[in-house]
Amino acid sequence: MSDNNNKKIIETEVPMGMVHSAAIEPYRVRLFVEDEIVRDAEITVGINHRGIERIMEGLPVEKANSLTEKICGICSNSHIWNSVLVAEKALGIEIPERASYIRIVVEELERLHSHLLYLAHGSEVLGHETFAMRLFYIRETVMELLGMIGGNRVQYGAPIIGGIRPRCDLNEMRIKKIKEGMDFLEEKVAAFADRFTSDPMIMARITGVAVLSKKDAIRLATSGPTLRATGVDIDLRRDMESYDPFEFDIITQKDGDVKSNLLVRVFEIFESIKIIRQAIGNLPPGKITNRSWGMQDTPIVKSYIEVPRGKLYHSYKLEEGRTRNVIVRTPSITNIGAMEHACIGAHITDAQLAIVQCDPCFTCTDRAIKIIRL
Amino acid sequence: MSLKSYSRARAVHVMLVYTGGCNGCDIEIVNCIFSPRYDAEQYKVFLTWNPREADVLVVTGPVTKHTEKPLKEIYNSIPEPKAVVAAGACALMGGVYKNIHGDIPSEEIAGPVDEVIPVDAKVPGCAVRPEDILSGLVATLPKLLEAK
Repeated sequence: MSDNNNKKIIETEVPMGMVHSAAIEPYRVRLFVEDEIVRDAEITVGINHRGIERIMEGLPVEKANSLTEKICGICSNSHIWNSVLVAEKALGIEIPERASYIRIVVEELERLHSHLLYLAHGSEVLGHETFAMRLFYIRETVMELLGMIGGNRVQYGAPIIGGIRPRCDLNEMRIKKIKEGMDFLEEKVAAFADRFTSDPMIMARITGVAVLSKKDAIRLATSGPTLRATGVDIDLRRDMESYDPFEFDIITQKDGDVKSNLLVRVFEIFESIKIIRQAIGNLPPGKITNRSWGMQDTPIVKSYIEVPRGKLYHSYKLEEGRTRNVIVRTPSITNIGAMEHACIGAHITDAQLAIVQCDPCFTCTDRAIKIIRL
Repeated sequence: MSLKSYSRARAVHVMLVYTGGCNGCDIEIVNCIFSPRYDAEQYKVFLTWNPREADVLVVTGPVTKHTEKPLKEIYNSIPEPKAVVAAGACALMGGVYKNIHGDIPSEEIAGPVDEVIPVDAKVPGCAVRPEDILSGLVATLPKLLEAK
């Protein structure tokens, strides 16, 4: 990462990982330290690699779609949704409007629980366990709503090719419960945000720490809320067809430090609540699946969507109803550069915070790469 | 009840190890012990990341080739008496990752947890439910308390 022209040899190295008490997920960080200031950082992933793309190769497309859900336990719906979108785009399937709305509800609920988990994890790394417990308590409401819709708290498998699964349809009782849940969330998250931003100790700890500049963020191909925290106004949700009926704002912050990263997520929670309220408020009646489609061979089709951590890419081609040449690229793999760069110049105690501020999900990342053994 | 088991029952430390799971089980376990809803801490069950102070090792995920050696090292550095809980479908039988296409084993997976270290309690589910984790932890308690 450092400049090649005046490269100094830094001898002090602080390694962390593969399994380390500060990092919950297994990954390896090497911090090159000079007088307790991090001068360079290197993140190695691949410990979790299980080769999901290899397993997906040659499976019937419906099975392969269900398998993508197991890529990540946090954003499982994003993976299955994007994988289904690839098949729908390839075969030219139109989905009913009601199904599209329910997909948005599930996706935004997932964004809520992912962001709340990020804030809880961030608070824990900051050393503020009370906030972390409080956020886990708020998050439990979202998990219960997801459990109610999908039947499982973590992997709910709502989208199928042509619509959504019949068990995920929203009836009056479910809509009422989601409404109550949203009221509860809005109140509790607002109270949390008030206490968080008015706490002088927390603010002193996170302001101006681990700064990622706008220029670096663009150069390192950062995506998602980490990019928006540096002031770049890019969100794929604005370009996605499914989000056209909804009104929402794209949240940006200016500084690119830990404070901006946390605040972007806090404000995005309110935007998600707004989208869910609009979706369940004018949920169109009608069918939830379109079953009139036939299988055919297609070339490679790509699909990008905005997921809680950034931009997710899936592509495959269909041969006799089976998936071939599967590629999955998760947002964390492009954010690794940002994590390494945010560490540079920070104090060594802030290095873990600098990595956590980019919302890493290394289990996703390890699905998406292939280790070449020479 | 001896003095040792009396004090052990009042501080059960749980260590969580990821071995290539999908994050689903792991967050449910942290949620179960940490969050105010399930709150295993009220039963004096604490989460720790230090193997030397742990009593119960909770393992999630199919053990990937890269995590096999660290898992054995962590298991060996936990003092006796110790118990191991394998949580989730992946930890029990490899889940969807164990085989590629029928019974061709995947070359990335070193096998389910009980082929690497001895397992005392198995918690099924994909992902595991917090209630099941609590009962899995309770199932290991006799082994910890009756040890001399």
